Amino acid sequence: MSGDRTRILGMLADGKITAAEAETLLDALESSAEVPAPVKAPSADWPSGPSEGGTPKFMYVKVTGEDKVDVKIPLALLRTGLKLTSLIPKQAMDQINESMSEAGMSIDFNNLKPEDVEDIIASLGEMEVNVEAKDGDHVRVFCA
Amino acid sequence: MILPPLVIDVHVRERGSRSFRIWFPFVVLWPLLFILVGFALVVSLVVDLALLLAGSRYRHYTRLLLGAMHVLADLRGTQVRVDSATTFVNLDIY
Repeated sequence: MSGDRTRILGMLADGKITAAEAETLLDALESSAEVPAPVKAPSADWPSGPSEGGTPKFMYVKVTGEDKVDVKIPLALLRTGLKLTSLIPKQAMDQINESMSEAGMSIDFNNLKPEDVEDIIASLGEMEVNVEAKDGDHVRVFCA
Repeated sequence: MILPPLVIDVHVRERGSRSFRIWFPFVVLWPLLFILVGFALVVSLVVDLALLLAGSRYRHYTRLLLGAMHVLADLRGTQVRVDSATTFVNLDIY
């Protein structure tokens, strides 16, 4: 980096560039130095697809296209969250169901039994969702 | 075992501006969290006992509190990364 700086100052001293040009070049040099190093995408270490056999541990959501989104959620969180719904008082759960229904998600959590949760989690291991949007975005959801 | 997150790492960067990063050792809040949860557990146990004696069908406030703690603990391992044309957001919970 200091080599570039010396070269610019040398060009200025030799009269090859003006002071204004040298200033522009030095500013450009500084701004390029401020660009942080790219952070390694977490998905680089993720499995490429659903696990074959065994209990899945994470749910992965990958969106590629113009915007890139990588989400990794522990399935234990889903399991605990679903079990927690059976402990929520009925009045509160009715309000939750109503709010979700208004938002377009008609899921009645009152019908969800704690013993069904393990089956749901186990079934997720075989699930894979692939969505190819018209604008070129690709959404992929799987558990592994 | 209920083990809340140890570290929360949040990294936000807008294109053309300085990046913002918080590496927060959540573990330093554990003592405070355990005191608060301990107190809440005692209260919820008393409430559940009172509900039991009153013959109420719903008496799960203690289990609800423990479930909420489990949700907090199960957040460990979560990774979220959004990389758009204008913004970069990275969240890691360890």
